[in-house]
Amino acid sequence: MRRIFPLMLLAWLACWLPVAAQGVRITGKVTTSDDASPLPGASVQLKGTNVGTQTDSEGSYAIEVPSANSVLVFSFVGMVAQEIAVANQSTIDVKLSSDVRSLSEVVVTGYGSQIKRDVTGNIAQVKGTEIQNMPVASVDAAIQGRAAGVYVNSGTGKLGQAINVRVRGNSSISASSQPLYVVDGMPVTTADLSNNGGSTNPLSDINSNDIESIEILKDASAGAIYGSRAANGVVLITTKRGKAGKTNVSLNYQLGSSEATRRVKFLNADEYVKFYTMAANNRDRIDGTDTQDPDSYTQYMLGAGGFLEYYSLGTYNTPQQQNYSWQDQAFQKGPMQQLDLQVNGGSEKTKFFLSGQYLDQTGTLVGNKLERISGRMNLDHQAYKWLQVGLSMGLARTVNRRLPGDNAFSNPLQMAALTPLTPFTDPKTGLPTGTPPGDVNVPLYFNPMISINYAKFEATSFRNLTNAYAQINILPELKFRSELGIDLLNQNEEGYYQSQNVRNVSTASSGLGNNYATFVTNYNTNNFFSYDKTLGLHGIGATLGMSYQQSQRKLSFVEGTQFPSDSYKKIASAATKSDGSTSETNFRFLSYFLRMNYKFADKYLLSASARIDGSSRFGVNSRYGFFPSASLGWVVTEEGFLKNNNVLSFLKLRGSYGSTGNSEIGDFPQLGLFAGDAGYAGSAGQRPSQIGNPNLKWETTRQADFGIDFGLFNNRINGEIDYYVKKTNGLLLEVNVPATSGFSVQYANVGKLENKGFEFVLNTQNTVGAFRWTTSLNVANNKNKVTDIQGQVIEGGIRSMSRVMEGQPVGVFYTVEYAGVDRANGNALFYKNTPNPDGTVDRSTVTNSGYNSAQRVVAGNPNPKFVGGITNTFSYKGIDLSVFFNGVSGNKINFYGVGQYSSANGIYEDNQTADQMNAWTPENPDTDVPEARFYRGNGNQASTRYIFNGSYLRLRSITLGYNLPTELVRRIKMEKVRVYVSALNLATFTNYKGWDPEVNTDDLSEKDSKFALGNDFYTAPQPRTLLVGINVGF
Amino acid sequence: MKKNRYIIPALLSAMLMATGCDNRLDVQPTQSIDENVALGTSRDVEVTLIGCYDGLQDVDVYGGAFQYASELLGNSDELGFGGTFQNLLEMYNKEMTTNNATATTTWRDSYVAINRCNNVLSALDIVDEDKRARIEGEARFIRGSIYFDLVRLYAKTWGDGDNASNPGVPLVLKPTRGVTDADKIPRNAVAEVYAQVLEDLTKAKSLLPESNTIYATKYAASAQLSRVYLMQGNYAAARDEANEVITSEAFSLNPTFESLFFTFLDNGGANPEEYIFSMIVTQQDGTNDMNTFFGTTISAIPGTAGRGDIRVLAKHRGLYETGDKRGAFFVTTNNTFTRKHLDKFGNVLQFRLAEMYLTRAEANLRLNSQTGATPLADLNLIRTRAGLKAATTVTIESVLKERHLELAFEGHTLHDLKRTRQNVGALPYNSPKLIMPIPQREMDVNKQLVQNQGYN
Repeated sequence: MRRIFPLMLLAWLACWLPVAAQGVRITGKVTTSDDASPLPGASVQLKGTNVGTQTDSEGSYAIEVPSANSVLVFSFVGMVAQEIAVANQSTIDVKLSSDVRSLSEVVVTGYGSQIKRDVTGNIAQVKGTEIQNMPVASVDAAIQGRAAGVYVNSGTGKLGQAINVRVRGNSSISASSQPLYVVDGMPVTTADLSNNGGSTNPLSDINSNDIESIEILKDASAGAIYGSRAANGVVLITTKRGKAGKTNVSLNYQLGSSEATRRVKFLNADEYVKFYTMAANNRDRIDGTDTQDPDSYTQYMLGAGGFLEYYSLGTYNTPQQQNYSWQDQAFQKGPMQQLDLQVNGGSEKTKFFLSGQYLDQTGTLVGNKLERISGRMNLDHQAYKWLQVGLSMGLARTVNRRLPGDNAFSNPLQMAALTPLTPFTDPKTGLPTGTPPGDVNVPLYFNPMISINYAKFEATSFRNLTNAYAQINILPELKFRSELGIDLLNQNEEGYYQSQNVRNVSTASSGLGNNYATFVTNYNTNNFFSYDKTLGLHGIGATLGMSYQQSQRKLSFVEGTQFPSDSYKKIASAATKSDGSTSETNFRFLSYFLRMNYKFADKYLLSASARIDGSSRFGVNSRYGFFPSASLGWVVTEEGFLKNNNVLSFLKLRGSYGSTGNSEIGDFPQLGLFAGDAGYAGSAGQRPSQIGNPNLKWETTRQADFGIDFGLFNNRINGEIDYYVKKTNGLLLEVNVPATSGFSVQYANVGKLENKGFEFVLNTQNTVGAFRWTTSLNVANNKNKVTDIQGQVIEGGIRSMSRVMEGQPVGVFYTVEYAGVDRANGNALFYKNTPNPDGTVDRSTVTNSGYNSAQRVVAGNPNPKFVGGITNTFSYKGIDLSVFFNGVSGNKINFYGVGQYSSANGIYEDNQTADQMNAWTPENPDTDVPEARFYRGNGNQASTRYIFNGSYLRLRSITLGYNLPTELVRRIKMEKVRVYVSALNLATFTNYKGWDPEVNTDDLSEKDSKFALGNDFYTAPQPRTLLVGINVGF
Repeated sequence: MKKNRYIIPALLSAMLMATGCDNRLDVQPTQSIDENVALGTSRDVEVTLIGCYDGLQDVDVYGGAFQYASELLGNSDELGFGGTFQNLLEMYNKEMTTNNATATTTWRDSYVAINRCNNVLSALDIVDEDKRARIEGEARFIRGSIYFDLVRLYAKTWGDGDNASNPGVPLVLKPTRGVTDADKIPRNAVAEVYAQVLEDLTKAKSLLPESNTIYATKYAASAQLSRVYLMQGNYAAARDEANEVITSEAFSLNPTFESLFFTFLDNGGANPEEYIFSMIVTQQDGTNDMNTFFGTTISAIPGTAGRGDIRVLAKHRGLYETGDKRGAFFVTTNNTFTRKHLDKFGNVLQFRLAEMYLTRAEANLRLNSQTGATPLADLNLIRTRAGLKAATTVTIESVLKERHLELAFEGHTLHDLKRTRQNVGALPYNSPKLIMPIPQREMDVNKQLVQNQGYN
């Protein structure tokens, strides 16, 4: 920071070119057309120059113009700009009218753009300004709750990790359900590249503040132009570009601090002793063992040299015994700061946008930190009248000090499970307990603080996203555009485990270093003609072209052990190079696409598009796929009977139908393969690794969408209502095969599923004038159902509790139904739920020994029924306030990852959640927590006991800003000075008993992570971040 | 110049739209090869055989699971369990669920290794003639061994009811190339599985050389056969196989009991003279899952590791006579652990000569014969090495007790109890709780399979 600031100042000075103007002096007042209230801070600019001024607090202005031929441009955010010729006037008063989410806005479509009112497909738009300065590392996290039908689950509070995004539901089971991301026309690398548990998110290399707009193509009409890659939706990210005229410099700095949103209450030391005394006594009673027997569980726990004495470092039952809340050690207050500089401007011939950002964010879990430096240069140059060339180049360096995956003893949140009698620090060594030379077998599990202090895992990635284009205007209505993009992602992950980590990484007894280098090289070219012509009432548009993408991923890895001392951390010093590997994988796509739009009298709209896709991922028998779509629109308000209607200012009916595909299944799934990784004792070996399927092809999704776009009261209220039906067939399933074949799965096109849903978007201008209040609401409902998987059993996730089954949504929780506690003896009970001969269901109960005989049942859906967001913005004079809530409802979360150990009636020695104190005793028979039994399963089996409601409503972001008065700002030769305070995740309303209802553990197998959602496994909660910031423009 | 605006797009589009791009989609994997070219030369088959050992070495096959399953299921209060692996705890408590991870992966990974063997056995005709017998022998040894361990873990004990009708495990003897409904096969009878095991192992014994570095030998096959015969109560055959191993003098008892273990830490990874066959673990390859669960990190012995989940209770430690070195072969922190499995990179022992002596002693005693030596002489070889006085008398009970102490925590417990029809705690030897469930996953995917009693 300190080093960067002088540079900023220099840039500031270099760009500051004072302008002196002479000539006619014009004065006047700018007001709103709604209630004639003055508009302070409105811009008054001499057209075609960078000469301009702003209105004062009374809305008045004065400006010198060179001549009577001059034209003035009056503009204000949220109002329709006006141009007025000066002629011989000396006073010009202007009334600006509100620009309600204008229908004349342009939306980006695949390989082109369209005016919003002419769009017949469903495209959600998120403006860059909406997500500006959100303190999240990646753009996918930033769009959460902003677009109808786009469900974003950040999954974990660890920084820069992969995020689940579902556009109109899960469209797949074994293939990815994540959307395709396209940045400035180029499909970018988004796959997880982690080699250390958890998952990385390559989208965090993109600076959200560089984004002009994000369009999400949701229906088939919008998506079909991306063919086999569009079934999960397409997210088009367009970066900011330069504008001709005055050079604008904007400098933003924000500073804040994050803390975990929520914690879970665990037992304290006294409760722990009490609870486990009870659990051990109960177990001895069941075994018929005398509690004084040295082999009894009671003695094991409480006796001399027993568990408590050992793990309390001898302080148990002495005055030195204390309570240690291990969970608290996992959390920290994480400071963050972010500095942004953006410069844009240029002439009519050459325009530029330059930006730079420095982001420094510390996580809410100890040891987690992300630092990013990024720069962008976007250029557009009109070489000749017929030729335009340009470049967008984004560079980023991201350093992420990462944490292990959730299912690692070194995951800091797993400290919650440690014995609350175990001191944080070993008094003999003064070091974190468990650090050699102290006893490494204390605490109960490996102490993650040792990992924090003596191990490091750092991922450094360099990203270059460059896209160059040339556009030739062959005829005024015919253009040819050629784009060439390169997405280079180089990631280095370096780990070093000092000898202190020996209990967790047993091969680190003399240090262990590892290093992974990942190179992803992704090239793409798009070449297409576009045609646009209006002939009287007929408007015709067409796009025809091809694209080719080739991507290669290389990985090299080396590991070394036997370091001379912990001061040597590079593998150069490792006496044993204990492991090493290189690998490579490739995929390619070759595509041809066509789109035609026809419009008659601005009333009737027709659009058709198609794409042919070829891919290296599919069998020789089915290498190419064809994806057509068609859509219709009818602007009813253009008809005579509705024209000039006072209430209904706009009404458009639209419908679309078409097919898209999904090919995100990894490379080479179609081939029967042998792999050479089956060596034994230093000799090379090979093995059959995959069964082939030469007929393997895309998943195909056919989608119908019906929509209404409406505007009321001169569009002060406008919105969209959509209903869609999305049917996927030929699912790319990893079909289970009998293991007796020597294989577990085979890829095949088997099965069908569907998603149906409503989407509702409403934008209103509640008040206009000096006090402005707007509301923007989106709500979506999606119903997902697997209609046919031909009897396949697909399950995974925590203890295989997530399942894909016919008639149910993808990834439902499927487990035994918990029936509470037997009042008489404290046994856990489970409903049998087996079918009776008469077709009814047997609702009798069984206890632990009969657990196997209980039939599993569908116990909830991890996918929410409703997802939505609501933003209210208020502005008055220089003050603005934006309040954004988002929420989900109707989904369930599986807490068993934690509960099987920590809400488990003391089956293991893990510290228990506080609710376990309510365990059954003869004195407390009416409880749903079974009797505590040490090392004996009593209700800790997988069951609905651990399936919780995951609904939540969250105050996702709130920002209060103040624009300094214009006179003051002008006096310091600035154009704009805004100060703001902002908060992320300030409040969360939920009944979920775990850490955070926005959860997806990061440590499932790749296969499971596709459908096994909503699992909690000591997963880090989302951060609550408070920020202050200042934005200066000149 | 102006013509460029027509020429450039025309050229570019002609170039790019040309079908010449199509062959760019023929991308071959770089790390794997097509199955049709994988088995083309003798060398290809030889490396596939190495793949069989790799499959056998899997932690859920001979890398530990078969052995710790036997120890946990066979345990009655001699071992304690204190870990969070529910699959192990379920075995320990004899309350297994059909989703038990060990039941699932041991089944699966066993058949993965069997399929590799079937690949080798199907391609013997391209193997160089001088290697062919050995290669067939090794593949058959591995396949027969796995079928034997599967059938005694997932099916009723030999002789518990009708072997010809008791369901064993499915026999797959051909390599898999595609999967159809024909691959959904039922369980073969216990008798059929044993017949296949005997066929594979006897053939292996006849084909294998007497010495074969770290790989399977004629004597490894004999040692395995002695176990199969013992399980079947065919004491004469068990005795003869054990005797053949002993009299070959290819192996010898280690002078001290303590030197039998720590193959990596004390012996640089090499096996002691007494080992007949083991799974080799190196720093690069293989995991010793006996270490994972029985072992623990002992600061005083660098290189030790393990989760420390399986502990040795006083009831077991009290079984040793005073002066028995094996009774001191433990290490105590707050729990007590065996020293047999502390070495993280220690080889996973499968057969050692002491077992052969004990098998010969037991069989001779039961048959009232003296093949090779008297039962008392064999018994005393083991006792005196452990630092005990020679016994003067020998009974079945004393041989079985010696076997229990000598081979403790090496994977024999459950099977020894079952074949001698002894209870495990309160459970009779043939309790369904002592048999693994057919994994739920397999039941779901193959309707031909029948579940074991007690798991429906």
